[in-house]
Amino acid sequence: MTTKWTTRALTGFGRGAGRLAALGLLAALAALAALAAAHAQPQPATPAHSPACEPPPAAGHHLAAGGLQAWWRAEPEPLRVGQPFALVVTVCPVQTQLLRVDAHMPEHRHGMNYRPTLQPLGGGRWRAEGLLWHMPGRWELVLEAGLGEQKVRLTQAVLLK
Amino acid sequence: MSVVFTAARVRALALCAALPALAATAATAAPAVLNFTADEKARILAHGPWPPAVPHDRSNRAERLPAAVAWGRELFFDARLSADGRSSCASCHQPALAFQDARSSPQLLAAATTEAAVPLRAGHRNTPSLLGTAQQRWWGWDGAHDSLWAASLAPLLASAEMGHSLSSLAARVRGTADLAAGYRRVHRQPPPRDDEQLAVGVAKALAAWQATLRLPRAPFDDFRDALARHDMRAAAHYPAAAQRGLRIFVGEGRCFICHTGPGFSNGEFADIGVPFFVPGGVDSGRHQGLLQLQTSPYTRLGRHNDAGAADARAVATRHVVLEPRHFGEFKVPGLRQLSRSAPYMHDGSLATLQDVVRHYSALNEERLHADGERILRPLDLDAGQRADLEAFLRSLSR
Repeated sequence: MTTKWTTRALTGFGRGAGRLAALGLLAALAALAALAAAHAQPQPATPAHSPACEPPPAAGHHLAAGGLQAWWRAEPEPLRVGQPFALVVTVCPVQTQLLRVDAHMPEHRHGMNYRPTLQPLGGGRWRAEGLLWHMPGRWELVLEAGLGEQKVRLTQAVLLK
Repeated sequence: MSVVFTAARVRALALCAALPALAATAATAAPAVLNFTADEKARILAHGPWPPAVPHDRSNRAERLPAAVAWGRELFFDARLSADGRSSCASCHQPALAFQDARSSPQLLAAATTEAAVPLRAGHRNTPSLLGTAQQRWWGWDGAHDSLWAASLAPLLASAEMGHSLSSLAARVRGTADLAAGYRRVHRQPPPRDDEQLAVGVAKALAAWQATLRLPRAPFDDFRDALARHDMRAAAHYPAAAQRGLRIFVGEGRCFICHTGPGFSNGEFADIGVPFFVPGGVDSGRHQGLLQLQTSPYTRLGRHNDAGAADARAVATRHVVLEPRHFGEFKVPGLRQLSRSAPYMHDGSLATLQDVVRHYSALNEERLHADGERILRPLDLDAGQRADLEAFLRSLSR
């Protein structure tokens, strides 16, 4: 298995091009404002730079968006076509709630035949049970996480051979 | 015109004559292995090695008990397991025919009216081979069963197959001395009062024996293993036509996307454009299978799982989802021993491997789900390519 680092993150759960465009515009404005603020004063520590967000041991693959970070690894590894597997996900900040784990094949326009269940293991660690990728090719792994009012959708392309 | 054969010219002519012969010799001696790309090789190697280790099914504590295997074998050929005493499991799963019946659905329906040993079935499903059956995740063309013992119980209780009810099957075992003794030998207790438990006990013995039915190695495996150890001399024994067919299989044909791994199946379900209309209605395949699974008392999530919550294989049953796209999907079958298991497709509608290759070559895209997978497309193979692909498929049989 190889992992392609084409991480794409969308904040919020908006659907439709119009809403995405609006979100994009808002995000751009926010980024400009943040850049201006950074020039004006010392940049505060973000979750991405917090000591609490050091990669855990045997962290696996990394995702980050919207100030949230996640590391995941599969059990068992390596992933094999047609074999059930689980994901151990570590999120940061540790208060982050992992809301959903899913995957689909964009080129084939289908998802998994299975819906994973989530179990909190404590300390920002979660176990997603019940994944199965039944075809070789490009899968898009989706982690949806929430921290307070903020919800973040983290995606990562994984090439399964 | 006269030709003058000077000594020098004769030598030159002799050399010219010898060159084609040398070239022919070289061509014969060269390893006749296609120059597979790295991607092609990786895909080929992923179809082995064979045989794989078969995991113990802990939901059936009898699976590896010699007494269960022996009794299961007896039961498999015992017509008393049918309500009318006319048919056994072996009536349809015939050992000489790779444990299937080599009959298309119309043939089976016709035979049911004339042959005592053939039960009158619903008549729209192709009898699957039982070779290698223990290596599956879902059983049946619709995957309605998540264990071999559950799949073995279903035909005993199907009105269109062996026709027992739970109570009639239990009464027959309790009331027949040698059957009751067999149960006692395997389960270390007399046949219980609980009809359901008793029937499952019978099915688990049947499963114990069927789990011993293995798929043999095939010529493809020798080629695959030779390729893995870079032994081109050994690999060259694999026929050129099969190699060309293999290249189609792992390349432009994209067959490997669903027919994955050593067993040539991803264990899941697909709609490949075979009609699902049957006399009197529609065979919705996986959709109906999942509905049946969700209400069945005979799954890994139920009380008959000997491993209980510790059964790691229950993870699929616990997480599988029912979605509209499963309508008309059927099991992706393994391809080993394919030459021995005609006819083909879930409804047995294709008589030969030639028909199967032709089906994929001239696939009707309009027939496939509008919102379905963009995997299947007509292969448009010419006659030579079709023959090559067939040669490869035949190399999966011993």
